[in-house]
Amino acid sequence: MKNFTYYRPLSLEAAVALLDNRWGTTELLAGGTDLLDLQKEYIAQPDKVVSLTFIQDPVFTRIEVPQILPGTKPTVSIGAAVKIADIAEHAELKNLFPALTDAAAQVGGPQIRNMGTLGGNLCQRNRCWYFRDEHVLCLLKGGRRCFASDGENRYHAIFTKGHPCVIVHPSTLAPALIALGASVEVVGPSGKRTIELNKFFQAPTKPDQREHVLAPNEIVVRVLIPVEGLRNASYEVRHKQSYDWPLAQAAVAFRLSGGKATNVRIVLGHVAPIPHVATEAQKVVEGQTITRELAEQAGEAATVGAAPLSQNAYKVHLVKVAVKRALLLASGAQPDWAI
Amino acid sequence: MAEIKWPEKRRLIGTKVPRLDGPDKATGRARYSQDINRPGMLHALILRSPYAHCRIKSLDLSQAQKAPGVRAIVTVGQVNYTAGRKEGKPGWEFPVSVTDVGRELFYHGDEILAIAADTEEHARDALRLVKIEYEQLPFIVKEETALQKRLGPSTVPGKDASNVLAGGSRTEGDPDGAKKAAEVLVKGTYGVPVITHCCLETHGLVAEWESPKSLTIWCTTQAVPGTAGQLQGFLAGHGITCSVRCITHHMGGGYGSKFGPDIQGQLAAVLALVAKAPVKLFLDRDEEHLAAGNRPSATATVTIGGSRNGTISVFEAASYGTPGVGRAAGVNIGILPYVYEVRNVRISTDIVRLNHGAARAMRAPAHPQNCFITECAVDDFANAAGLDPMEVRLKNLPQNDPAAVTKIPTSFPALRNTIYTDEIRIAAELSQWKKKWHPPGKGPTKGPWKHGIGMALHTWGGAGRADNDVFVTISSDGSVLVQCSTQDLGTGERTVLAIVVAEALGLDPKDLTVVIGESQIGRSTGSGGSTTAPGTAPAALVAAINARDELFRKVAPKLGLKPDDLVLEPNKITDKASGKTFTWRQFCARLGVDTVRGQGNWIPGLSNLGVGGVQVAEVWVDTETGVVRLDKIVAVQDCGMVINKLACESQVAGGVIMGINLAMFEEMIVDEQTGRMVNPDFEFYKLGGMLDMPEIIVHMHDMPERGVIGIGEPPTISTAAAIGNAICNALGVRVPRTPFSPDRVLAALHARK
Repeated sequence: MKNFTYYRPLSLEAAVALLDNRWGTTELLAGGTDLLDLQKEYIAQPDKVVSLTFIQDPVFTRIEVPQILPGTKPTVSIGAAVKIADIAEHAELKNLFPALTDAAAQVGGPQIRNMGTLGGNLCQRNRCWYFRDEHVLCLLKGGRRCFASDGENRYHAIFTKGHPCVIVHPSTLAPALIALGASVEVVGPSGKRTIELNKFFQAPTKPDQREHVLAPNEIVVRVLIPVEGLRNASYEVRHKQSYDWPLAQAAVAFRLSGGKATNVRIVLGHVAPIPHVATEAQKVVEGQTITRELAEQAGEAATVGAAPLSQNAYKVHLVKVAVKRALLLASGAQPDWAI
Repeated sequence: MAEIKWPEKRRLIGTKVPRLDGPDKATGRARYSQDINRPGMLHALILRSPYAHCRIKSLDLSQAQKAPGVRAIVTVGQVNYTAGRKEGKPGWEFPVSVTDVGRELFYHGDEILAIAADTEEHARDALRLVKIEYEQLPFIVKEETALQKRLGPSTVPGKDASNVLAGGSRTEGDPDGAKKAAEVLVKGTYGVPVITHCCLETHGLVAEWESPKSLTIWCTTQAVPGTAGQLQGFLAGHGITCSVRCITHHMGGGYGSKFGPDIQGQLAAVLALVAKAPVKLFLDRDEEHLAAGNRPSATATVTIGGSRNGTISVFEAASYGTPGVGRAAGVNIGILPYVYEVRNVRISTDIVRLNHGAARAMRAPAHPQNCFITECAVDDFANAAGLDPMEVRLKNLPQNDPAAVTKIPTSFPALRNTIYTDEIRIAAELSQWKKKWHPPGKGPTKGPWKHGIGMALHTWGGAGRADNDVFVTISSDGSVLVQCSTQDLGTGERTVLAIVVAEALGLDPKDLTVVIGESQIGRSTGSGGSTTAPGTAPAALVAAINARDELFRKVAPKLGLKPDDLVLEPNKITDKASGKTFTWRQFCARLGVDTVRGQGNWIPGLSNLGVGGVQVAEVWVDTETGVVRLDKIVAVQDCGMVINKLACESQVAGGVIMGINLAMFEEMIVDEQTGRMVNPDFEFYKLGGMLDMPEIIVHMHDMPERGVIGIGEPPTISTAAAIGNAICNALGVRVPRTPFSPDRVLAALHARK
């Protein structure tokens, strides 16, 4: 990798002060599970690497679950530096947000989960094999075209309309968090701001864009999840059961009152450049009793707008199944697919 | 000397003996070639072609040479340049304008040059300072494209007109007549892609010149003396006369891809010579996928026909496969149809050469592909006939050859029907075949999951070979040293030698010191074709018996005894004449300052060749997602006389795991736009993890009367075919190509609808 200067600030403010106001020259290091690979492959060639691992701020490093009393609207706070493994194993989170903890439990392998952080999971770069190959000058590296659009695209996006770059967003925590209505608190030179997570991601098309809307000198501090008593679940279809990326994922959340689902949110992972909110599917479920038939209809509706590439039409089918299974899981149905 | 035979009563051979180097490997004490670091050692890296086909127009090393820490740069053109010998100079003393400019590169990863620097980081920085102008040339990286452009021009090395070569054909009997007469006739296309060896220890070495006449390499190789010899020959070709010693004490896999020093061995030796310092050069994972060998693909359209009762009368296969820029076919028409005896046969194959790395031997070369092609078709035939495929297999087994039964009753031809019949019966029992097999698609279901079970057979050689020297030295303290230059690829070969010598000398394998993997010890052959145990175990027995006899000859007179009266039993030597007994140590103590050395080479009669093998796979397939969950694999395997049952079972389990990866996960994917492999990693070049592995039940079918036969290759052959047949049994539809990923399973399911 290219030589760089290594910084380890002791506060978020100090870290922010070290960041340049443009992409590429500084990079943040947390778990390192993505950045080090990017550097070794010369995809990232920062002059400065700012380590976040010496920042002790509890807001940044801890999970806070407030006492949940009737009539209150408490918010769970998960620091950006919290390890994915700690999310997966957190008893109260498991109880409140199985969509999140199940997704966390399936990220990568044990080594990745024990090093990788929540902030890193949200801000990681995409896994497109053309993007990750230094010798392929794709759109995101200043080239003129997306090689995956006409090339090897079995793992790429099926919701491609209007996207010249057909990556899929790699986070499985993001769809779950968006379904749960989470927001992100970030800190920059002018202080803190909060972004709804469903507005946090963007489809990049050029080198000076990331997969999210942060400014180059902003840092994710924590994720805030409202405790709204939502039923929620995440389901992912994978080729390998050990250490693999999902082929498709669906995260769902809804309020169940009087047997009817309301406030329905259905978010798809690994099928679009950003976590994909399946609005048509949400409409199908809204106000309805979740039955197997309804879940199947929702699955069908979730594929509205899908425009698969040459090698990934199978993902359209996987979306239907993932949505159906996530809805049934969240509704408390006995999963007949468990084996 | 009396004829040497395996002992009738075996105390150790055939039992479960933990491998001697297990604790060393588990604790990290075992030093692999990659663990070797030498004082003043430099680190070298290779610069490779970024293009699938190009020519070097210009090559400027000036900036790289000036880069921090750089100590030597040597190009591939230079190490290949032997024309300079008549000027009395080795190739690397010629300028790159002579040796490299104009050189053609034929695949992404093709080697250009290597740089040695004080650190790996400096070497990598320097690689990026090499300035090369390339002329990009046309390339073909997809078999289908090459077959369409059959008429060329060729984009690969050699003077052929096209990338597609005729790989041979064979016709026997009257296939057209047999097809007309067939009551059941099926046709299908089956295939496996190019996969790579995935040795966990990547290729490479440390090279150190002790003097201008003496080079030592610590090299990860499955041919220790062979690699030393090849490197010596290479250096001699440049006018450098020297001895080369190769050391390989521990090794992280080879699978057929590590038979010589390769270009990286040549480059490291020259860099070390030029820089006058030891050089370490190991490939990175991407280089390993790109340039360190792969297994050829195979695709065949098979027609198979026969009677309603399941007798196969005709087998046709029109096939092709790619060895990359190599020339070795993945389809071996000589072994098709695989295992079974069919009268009417028509087979042809095309070798499709592509601009990616060259194929090398890979664990049972050509067999997994030919097994898949044949065994999937056999199941489809059985399904079309409405028969249990196990019964169809039994019906079409080759008969025991009557001539062989008379002449060489322990030979494979004399026993093949018996072996397969026995093994199918055992596999059927262990897998509960009769209970669990059901017509395709008609099995038990659990929600969206459907159950399937499938079987496949395989065969392999595994003969012993001469030119394997084993030395057994007994000292007066009773210690025993066993030496052979052979290599332990991770197979347990070290322990094989210990078991055989301990058996012959009445000792415990743990009490022996075994030194292997050093070329100067003596002759040994490369570990290819599953020949290591059958080549060295007989030599170890001969050496141990020779050492024992020499011990008796030397010590008996000192005790006033006759050597012929002495009997060796576990840890005890008895004089038959007097009934007097000695412990091993007491007896050896009488050697005084003397030692005893027995030498042995392979002799016929103690090893054999030819094995069968049967595997049964049980799967569940999620018909909604196309996800396949492997439930259980039963592997029944013979290898003649089992030496170490524990290691044999591990070898079989390892072979099955490799077969599972072929079936489920592995595929080299090369992009047609860039000519570059898109998955030279372990992220998207997928290998199963713990959660992907089924229960694996191994049954060793021990046949001690046959002598020792190799075990390394056979158990990986039929796994993929058995899994493919199990998936077909679950779904009632054939998934024709591996890996059996959700997209392929869904495609097959949707095609039926």
